[in-house]
Amino acid sequence: MATSTLKNVRLAGMASCVPKRIVSNLTDCRPQIRAERERLVRNIGIETRRMAPEWQCFSDLALEATEKLLDSLEWKKEEIDALIVVTQSPDYPIPATAIILQDRLGLPHTTVAFDVNLGCSAYPFGIHLLGSMISAGGIKKGLLLVGDRSATLNDPIFSDAGTATALEFDENAPPMYFDLNSDGSGYKAIMLPVGGHRQPFNVSHAIARKDENGFWYSGMDLILDGAAVLSFSTQRVPPAVERVLEYAHKSKDDVDYYVFHQANRMINETIRKKLGLPVEKVPSTLPDFGNTSGASLPVTMTARLHETLANGRHRVLLGGFGIGLSWGSAIVDIESACFPALIES
Amino acid sequence: MDNLETFIENFNAAVDFQEPVTITADTKLESLPEWDSLAALGVIVMFDMEYGKTITGEHLAKAVTIQDLHQLLG
Repeated sequence: MATSTLKNVRLAGMASCVPKRIVSNLTDCRPQIRAERERLVRNIGIETRRMAPEWQCFSDLALEATEKLLDSLEWKKEEIDALIVVTQSPDYPIPATAIILQDRLGLPHTTVAFDVNLGCSAYPFGIHLLGSMISAGGIKKGLLLVGDRSATLNDPIFSDAGTATALEFDENAPPMYFDLNSDGSGYKAIMLPVGGHRQPFNVSHAIARKDENGFWYSGMDLILDGAAVLSFSTQRVPPAVERVLEYAHKSKDDVDYYVFHQANRMINETIRKKLGLPVEKVPSTLPDFGNTSGASLPVTMTARLHETLANGRHRVLLGGFGIGLSWGSAIVDIESACFPALIES
Repeated sequence: MDNLETFIENFNAAVDFQEPVTITADTKLESLPEWDSLAALGVIVMFDMEYGKTITGEHLAKAVTIQDLHQLLG
């Protein structure tokens, strides 16, 4: 498919929720020597992260964001026709978190609700999926809930967040443009290998081993090939952004903001420089919110642009990329949308 | 191929050494205190942005000395 256009879909609003607990990569995490921690922070660009307490799931954060958004939009719950949750941190392996949230949010039984398994690339894919349902005509108002709970003290990258985005049918809405891609040959680059049907969990997976850097790892931990992810992101994302701009007949100057997935400073700065984009057009939440997985685009828009995007019309290019491997871009015009300030829970 | 002196300057910046180090063509990567996964990412970005050359983690794993890295420029 690669490129496509959606008509009659309006982005009505967005809300983001992060845990209150702040974890510092300079004072709370490895490595032990301060100068090494400073070098790490300098290069990945992440100083503090948000980490949910043990009892708090992604869905709890997303629920708070949704309640706030519905309130601000003055949308009635019985009007919600669809609820799509895009996460890799479900409440349970089964059933789908979206269906549990249908009940917790008090949405009607007529709401279609299901989960989608995508991580860092999630946002443009989620907008396209819900937007397609709305554009087809059957769904008038829908909610897209995106995010993950992936922060740990062992790795300095990931941070927790839950977000909600409201889309609605609107015949006067400007078109949205998309470029969505997948390359499953890179599935091992970011992977939780144990616990599925290919490699079911057994007790040996729980035994931790020390690696050559002195870190303890068990078979239940995430595997992340940093070099492969960096190469993928910096090679694939810039041409994909150029492609969606060309498809939409827009120049780089026609876009007000470029909101990318917040991976790490090295990846994000390389993408920005390759595209020749000025810093002021590329907002970042890496220093204070780290890599919030699929939530990073709405978190960045909420934390950095919520007052701007709530007034007037702005064209935003959304770029998601990561686990799968998977990468997608969308060009969305946002006009007088509802953007509550960041929620801390 | 870029001259070795400039390459070493770029390498120094990419690795982000905490203390100044003297690097020559024969310097073994393993002997450098900061030669870690973070440095590897910095060097991959350096090859891409300074030289327009794509290298992978496997290329870096096979390189023993600075000279080996320099030869990856082809």
